[in-house]
Parts: sequence; C-alpha cells; structure tokens
Amino acid sequence: MSFKLSADGVKYVQNELTRYESKQSAIIRALYRGQDENGGWVSPDVVAELSRVMDIPASQIEEVSTFYTMFNKQPVGKYHIQVCCTLTCGMLGGRELTDAMMKEAGCKTYGDVSPDGLFTFNKVECLGSCDTAPMLQINRDPYIESLNTEKGLQLVRDLRAKGGRQ
Amino acid sequence: MAEVKYLSEHYHKKEYRTLAGYKANGGYEQLARALKMDKQKIIDEVKASGLRGRGGAGFPTGVKWGFLPNNGEPRYLLCNADESEPGTFKDRVMMEKAPHQLIEGMIISAYAVGAKKAYIYIRGEYMGPAMILEDAIREARDAGYIGKNILGSGVDVELDLYLGAGAYICGEETGLISSLEGYKGQPKLKPPFPAVQGYLKKPTIVNNVETLAAVVNIIRDGGAGYRKYGTEKSAGTKLFSLSGNVQKPGTYEVPLGYPLMDFINIECGGLLPGRKLKAVVPGGSSAPVLTAAECADATLDYENMAAKGSMLGSGAIIVIDDSYCMVDVLSTITHFYHHESCGQCTPCREGTGWIEKIIHSITHGEGKPGDVDLLLKISDQMKGRTICALSDAAALPVLSFVTKFRDEFEYFIREKKSKVKGTQIYAQMHPSLGGAH
Amino acid sequence: MADNTTHSNTGRAGTEPTEAKPVEAPKMLKAKINGVDVEVKAGTSIIEAFHQNGQSIAHYCWHPGLSVAGVCRLCMVEIEGNPRLQIACNTAVTEGMVVNNASEKVKEAVKWGLDFHLINHPLDCPICDQAGECGLQDQYMAYGKYDPEMAERKVKKHKVVDLGPRVVLDTERCILCSRCVRFTDEVSKSNELGIFNRGDRAEIGTFDGKPLNNNYSTNVVDICPVGALTSKDFRFRQRVWFLREHNTICTGCSTGCNTRAFYNKEGVFRIKPNYHKDVNGYWMCDVGRDVYKFANKEARLLDARVRGEWMVPSLAAKKTGEALRGGGNKVAFVVTGQYTNEEYDALLGFAKNEVGTSNVFHWINNPETIEAFDGLLLRGDRNPNTRGLMDRLASSSLSAKWPELVQGLTSGAITTVVVAGPENQSQFPDLKAKIMELSKAAKLVWLQAGKNDQLEALDGDVTLIPLKTYLEKDGTFVNYKGIAQTVKKGLSIVPASLSITEVVELMRGAPAVEAPSDVDQVGVGRIYNEFTLVRGNL
Repeated sequence: MSFKLSADGVKYVQNELTRYESKQSAIIRALYRGQDENGGWVSPDVVAELSRVMDIPASQIEEVSTFYTMFNKQPVGKYHIQVCCTLTCGMLGGRELTDAMMKEAGCKTYGDVSPDGLFTFNKVECLGSCDTAPMLQINRDPYIESLNTEKGLQLVRDLRAKGGRQ
Repeated sequence: MAEVKYLSEHYHKKEYRTLAGYKANGGYEQLARALKMDKQKIIDEVKASGLRGRGGAGFPTGVKWGFLPNNGEPRYLLCNADESEPGTFKDRVMMEKAPHQLIEGMIISAYAVGAKKAYIYIRGEYMGPAMILEDAIREARDAGYIGKNILGSGVDVELDLYLGAGAYICGEETGLISSLEGYKGQPKLKPPFPAVQGYLKKPTIVNNVETLAAVVNIIRDGGAGYRKYGTEKSAGTKLFSLSGNVQKPGTYEVPLGYPLMDFINIECGGLLPGRKLKAVVPGGSSAPVLTAAECADATLDYENMAAKGSMLGSGAIIVIDDSYCMVDVLSTITHFYHHESCGQCTPCREGTGWIEKIIHSITHGEGKPGDVDLLLKISDQMKGRTICALSDAAALPVLSFVTKFRDEFEYFIREKKSKVKGTQIYAQMHPSLGGAH
Repeated sequence: MADNTTHSNTGRAGTEPTEAKPVEAPKMLKAKINGVDVEVKAGTSIIEAFHQNGQSIAHYCWHPGLSVAGVCRLCMVEIEGNPRLQIACNTAVTEGMVVNNASEKVKEAVKWGLDFHLINHPLDCPICDQAGECGLQDQYMAYGKYDPEMAERKVKKHKVVDLGPRVVLDTERCILCSRCVRFTDEVSKSNELGIFNRGDRAEIGTFDGKPLNNNYSTNVVDICPVGALTSKDFRFRQRVWFLREHNTICTGCSTGCNTRAFYNKEGVFRIKPNYHKDVNGYWMCDVGRDVYKFANKEARLLDARVRGEWMVPSLAAKKTGEALRGGGNKVAFVVTGQYTNEEYDALLGFAKNEVGTSNVFHWINNPETIEAFDGLLLRGDRNPNTRGLMDRLASSSLSAKWPELVQGLTSGAITTVVVAGPENQSQFPDLKAKIMELSKAAKLVWLQAGKNDQLEALDGDVTLIPLKTYLEKDGTFVNYKGIAQTVKKGLSIVPASLSITEVVELMRGAPAVEAPSDVDQVGVGRIYNEFTLVRGNL
C-alpha cells in the first residue's frame, strides 16, 4: 500500500470514529483528511488505508467517496477551481467564465491538470451564492464571488504568480 | 409594505456573529426562558405560531414535532443546513451572520422535542459558514449553552456539526439522515417516517436553519406575537434569496404575503435598464416557472404560489429577463438534476439523464420533431413515482418551461438556434465543451 | 413447480427455524386484490399478498430473502382512497384495503417504469446468457410499452468485468436493482459489492478489483433479474430454453439444500437453489454448485470391470453376489455417507442376513472437520446422509470400528471388502489412501458412480460396479438435523449403472438383464422463474 495516513492523520480519524453516534459517520471527514494528505485526491490506496484504519469495508468507503462530488477520483492541480454553472450562474456567464479561465490556465478539458500542475477546472452545481454570480470555489476554501471574465483571468494569473507546488 | 427585519434585525452588526455580540443584542435570553417552560408549552407555541418549514416543503413545524412517538427511545434533532436548491442562499447568510441564533433555536427546539443530541448537517462546500459555526459552537459550549445541565436547568443537549461532501440529495431529510449515518446520501423509504424511525432508526426531527432560528422569536413573542406578520396560512416573515437579472440581488426578509413584483422592484432595485421581465422561478429551481403575466399579482406565500401552480419552496427567486433563452436556462436546470439524481429509483435515474440528453440535443441544433412532446411525456411519468421528490423536482421545471415557453423550444428545434440569442448561446459557441457530462 | 418460487415472510437462509410455540393464531386481514377477496396475515406487504394469491405483479428489486429496497418502482399499485400510486413491496396490507394493479393508471406507470429500465440497457439479448430467463424480457412481454422513444446516446459503462472466480459482470445490462449488493451485505455478509458513483453513472462492482470470492457468490447470479451477473461455469454453454429442470437435493454436505438441476441430453449444466423454509431458505453455496459435474458422462464409470475386463454391470453384480453370500465375517463392508436410506437398508440387510457378517465399517472422509459449519449453509460433513447411515448402523447393532478393519486386513481375518465408495470423489481427501489401504484385501468389490484411474489400475481380484448418481434414482436423505428429504429419478445419464438397491437385488440372485432400455430424457424445457411465474398465461 503506497498511501499511509500520517500519525496525526490516524489520530484525527480515530477521534472522528468516536465523535458521532456511529463510527460510519466518520467516513466523510476521514476521506477529506485522506484526500488532503494524498495531494488532493482519493486514490484507491486512500480508501484501502482508511478501511484498514477505520475497520470499515472498503466497498462502503468507496461507495461514499464516489457518491459525493467533493472527493476527487483523479489527481487535481494545486488549485482545483470549481465554477458554479447552475441556473443563475449559468445565466450570468459561469460557463463562459470557466472556459476562458481554462484556456488561460492551459487546461483542455474539465478535470485535467494544467501542464504546470497548478490548475484543474470543473463546472459544479449550485454553490449557494447566486446573488454573487458568477462565482467559484478553489479547493475547499471560502468562495470567490461576483466574477466576470476579466476578474477570472486575473485570478488565474495571480495564482500562477503565487507559485507552483510547495 | 416593505422589508421587515424580524429574524435579521441585527444581521448588519458584524459582532453579532460572536457570542459577546449576540448576547449584547439579547442573545440566549430566550433559551433561559424556554428552559423554564414546560416542553409541551413550547410545542404549543410553535404550533400556535403557524410556523411552516422554511426548507421548501412548508410543513407546519409544530405538527411535525407532534409526530414523535412516546416510546422512551432517544430522539435526535437535526438541522438541515445542506442548502443546495439552486437559487437558495439565505441559510448561508443566516449562518454567517448569526450562528448563535441558530444554536439558540436548536437548543430550545431540542429541549422541546426531548432530544439530547442535535446535529447541524451543513453542505461540504460551505466551509466558510462551517468554520464560523464551529467557532460559535465552541463558544456556546464554553459558556454553558450546550452540554450537560444547561444554565442549571438539568437539561442536557449536545450539539455537533456534520460536514457533507457535495450532494444535493442530502437536503432531502432522509437523504440527509443516510449521509449523517455515514452512507451514500440516498433517501430512505417512507414509511417509516423520520419522526418514528430516523437517524439510527431512532425518532428524529429534521428542520431547516431558518425554521429553527425562528423558534427563538416565537419564544420571545409567543405564537400569537409571531403571527403579527404574514397571512393566516403563511404566518411570519421569511428570508428570500433573489438572484438573476436585477439591480440588487441578495437576501431580504419580508412578511409572507408580500407582493412578488414589489420584492423585485423595491427590495432588489428592479430589472436592469432596458430589459423586460420574461419569467420568474419563485421557489428554487424545482418550482414551476411563472410567466411575467403570472407574476403581476403574485404574492410571496404558500397558498398564492400553490394557486398559481408553483410553490414558495425555499424562497429562492430567480428573475429572468427578455434577453435570456428559456431553452438555455432549462439546460442548466436539467443538467443539475441529472447530475444530482442519487440513482436509486429508476424513473429518476434514467429520466433525468434522458431529459438532459434531449435538451442537449436541442441546444446543439440536433433536436427532433416530437422532442417537445416527448419531454412532456417523460416528465409526466417521473412525477410521483419515486422514493423522494427529486424526480418531481426535475420534472416540474421541464413541464412548466416547455409548456409556458413552448414556442422557444419549437423554434430551437426547427431553426437549430435560439429564438432569443440566435447562435450566441453557450452550447453552440462551445460545442466541444458544452456537452453533458 | 419448484418450491423456491413460493414467497414467504420467514427469515433468510441459515437461520435455524424457531420451534413454533403454541401462540394464538396470527391476526388475519381481509383485503381485495384486483376484485378478488383475500385474507392475509397482519404484517403482509401488498406484493406478498399478490403472490400468495396467485396475482401477477411486475417487480425487479424486491426479493423475499432480502430487505426491501423499493427502488425499481415497478410494483406500482393503486390503493382505493390514495390518489398517489404506491409500491406494493413497502406497503403493508391493512384491513379492508382495496388494491389493484390493473387500472390504466398503474399500467401506464409500469409501462414507463420498464421503459426507463431499458433506455440505457444495451438490448444485446442475442448474445446475452440471460436471454430466455430474463426479467426484462419476460416482464416486457406482459407489461412493455412496445413503442420505444429513446433516440439519444446510451450511457457507456464497463463490460465483461471479471468479478471473481465464478461471476462475470456487465454493468451496461445492470438495472441497479441492488439485489446483489444487498445479498453480500445481508446474507453472505462479505460486503464485497457496492454501487459506486451516482445517478445514471452508478455501477455495481467491487472495490479496486477485489474479487467477489465468497462461497455464496453464485447466488448473485440467480437473483440478478437481468444478464448483468452471469455464471462463469454456465455462461455460453447452453441456451436456457434447451434445458429441463429436475428438483432434487444437494448432496454436497449434510445440510441438504433443495436444488434444481438443469439438464438435457448432453448432460447436466448447472444447479440452482430451490426455496425451503427450514433447510436452505433461498440460497445454496458455491460448493453445491459443482454437485453435478461428477454426474456427467465424461466423469462416469460406464461399465463394470472385473479383474481388468469390462462387463455388463448387472452381470458383474450377480457374479459378485455368488461369491459373497455366506462369506461370514471374512467379508467386510465399507460404507460412505453418500447413499440413500433405502440403499443402506438393502446393503446392510444383505451383509447381515445373506453374507452373515457383522463387519460393517463407516468410512468418514474428513473426521477432523466434520463438525465444521460456516454459519450459513455449508457443513463440514460433506455427505448427504451420514445421519441416515448412522441411524441404520445403530439400529442393526453394526458398530465395528475402523482399526478392526485395518487389523483384520493385516491378519488375514478379513479377505473380502465391499466398498460403497464416494459418489462425490472431490470431497474425499483420503480417497487415494483408502484405496491403497483397502486394496490389501484379497478380493475387493468397489461400488461407485465415477471413474477413478487408481481403481481401474488395480491388479488382482478387483470388481468395479458403476452406480447411479443422486439424479438418477429415488431415495431418501436425512440431513444433519434429521429432516428426511426425498430425491426422485430425474434423468438417466449412464443407463447401465445401478443403484445400490439394484446391486443388492442382483447379488441376492435376481436375474441379470441387459442395460435397461432407459432412454435419456431429451427435450426442450420451459424455464420457470419468479418472473415467468407471475406472467400468467402468455
């Protein structure tokens, strides 16, 4: 098994196991932790490791990790940019914004990683900030709102300037 | 009439999100009062207030609480903060601006329904509000508002936050329970209903953020006092999330029964210059769309929206002006439901995909004669056929868009371009990327 | 009609039946189904009430041995007073309920429900192993829309997924009824299967290619209503409509699962479980799935063999009898737990009365693991009738111990050994050693259905007589807990072979005959399953 949770990670997961009324409830938090420690995505190794640490069947953890969209099933760039494209955001330019930013970042399709390893783009469903449409979320950070194409392109440039992988 | 800051009275104050700021503005006083009240008295006040669930279904809250069986089993109170109905963002505003208001409402409600454990289920994308809530929960626990023997009353209520991970269906209360139990967020068969067998098969109440926050005001003003706003069947105020083609989109609190056009024109500053209103989605993306004509005399309350064949839903109003193509707007909605169908029930799993593919074909200039009627037939067969309401939620916008704006759909199929935007439509400008995924 | 199509409320396989305590009669409810008055026990679901009363109702995901999923949405019914159609599997019958599935409203819903199942289904019936016994095919005949309107691209999913040693998966054919997942969660409790992803991208599978490898895995093939899960052992070997069915009992262990053998003139092709409330519920194990291979011609001893020469079996038996009768204690009988009560009665009677020996030995094939139990169905005693044999040995006061045999062979006190050997040789790990041991006898008579190179290579006074298998004879097996179950002759694979009863008759002096004119039962059968059962008279 090539992925191992850090000692802190194991402690965190074990704590989550007793946090809720049943230990299964820890799966989502554990997957977030595994994803974070695995460079942003949930590889099969992550599921296997969590199954071992949590003593929960891997098939059950895999069901959860593939059901929820916030677990990435393939590698992502340092900045996983998720642009809302539902309804209001769709009407107000979310889709066009995504495509423009992807072009600037050098991403060809949704989900792929830009050659510099910095960017992955996905169109996502309503993020609950329709009054600031179009808007996006990077990784799991607070929202970046009230965008237009110019601001979106500038955001890509700023992130690129901020730098590559640590 | 105008905006009423009843729940949102102090939302403009930055310190209101902290315990100190909340207390300085009367916070947790109602909890102290409530803990001295008889539980049944609280339930009676909530019943008397006429408060209806603010998450979308509009079910009377006090009645829901009354469904709990008296069987001595542990009970749970869950707060539905999964807010993911497209167009809705008022719960996020409430959690960001007044986390303690929700906590206070939850502790009072948990006491009233006899729950010793309460969870806030918040959608995974809401990391910002989640962090604010976690801080607030810590503050409240340290101050003795959460935990054992709250304020010396002998009442114990634990409260914790549970983070989702991206699934609209977890806003459905049994989907939420499945997710909280650590499984895929797939809705459960009813019966049994959550009040009888919910979280971990124990009696469970699931209420929306706004519903639980309103309980604080109901304790303060009494059920009758709460009724000073709103109509007979739609009591109280409600926070509405308005977005789309208006000057000042945002969240505004108004009494139920408030005229829709006043809300658009006064609270939200009206449409953009030179634009005409074409349609309004009044209650989140699953609410049937209203034409401009239907909006003229519409009021924001459960009964008027129902009379118009739509619904108040979560109070998410999306304004669409005459520069938008209804086929294109519907395409983002059908994509949403296809993406979010949990996949359990066949009519929803297959129907949502089928519908999206037909709309996709139409927007890409590959629509076929008969597609409009086929869309109506498929949608009709998805209604009332499944475990939860997602299938209906996916069908209703299709039925209403296609019925009320049929000419736009037929034009698109015939001319292979938008009646409103011609070929200047996303699907045709980005044919390779615009595909369904 | 096989018993496993009887739907029942009782628990699932592996649970011991609780002794019925004298309780008051269960409360009965009166209801009306499609205009017919019915009476059912309180707690009965509508779908169970339909089946109990012979009414047909469409369904995929509901299975009486699994929890209710309620996801296929096919078992729609209209309940008087309820404007919304309800699913019959998750709705209990109430007193006075008036319910139908014949109204236009229900028919329309079922029609579309089926169509939703089919829009992304590949419709590759001509190359699908399930064709002929497929829930989609069968139910489409009765409830189909016959007017497909799907003109969009279908969802692409994984094909020919090697799930494990016995099962192959085609996820495009899968209708996501979740029966297989519920099976591995609830029955085998092995949790290998899951439904990954969501919406119409959802697929069943195992995590990261981990094999579906539990001893009950083939049950998921049985309960799969479509061709998504197929049996590696069976797939592409026969079209099911060329097979006949024979209800029988599994001889793979002492549980005695009720089974069906599917066969035609080319042999037996597969075994499936039949429902039995007290024995096996709805299931059987994978070990039992192979309990047909030794019956097919290629595994069989086709003729008798006496001192290295082939001979007509009946003649060989007759000649052997002459040599044995009156032999007294010089003759020993070695008996396995593989035969029927009737055969034991004949053989033990012959030993005691005609041969006059008390040397009857019970060959226990795996004494170390004989008490083992996997918690579900499979028992360590890999014989169908150990209990019947032991009862008969006890009542005939024949209780010789194995060391006496070894001693007798060494000392020469025993010169002749007659062995009722294993029918299912694969379950006798000590077979080789026992043949070596027993071939020390001056005269060895070995009765057995299957061929065995080691036996055929023995020199000296060795007689091999071919026996019938459990599929070819009538008889009774007593399972581990004392339930007596009968098998019937269903087919004839080696017509010249004999049952032990027939061997004994011949040894007693009955006239030998040529191979009986026992013609193979050739023919085209009709495959019945839960879906065809409810199809009515189409």
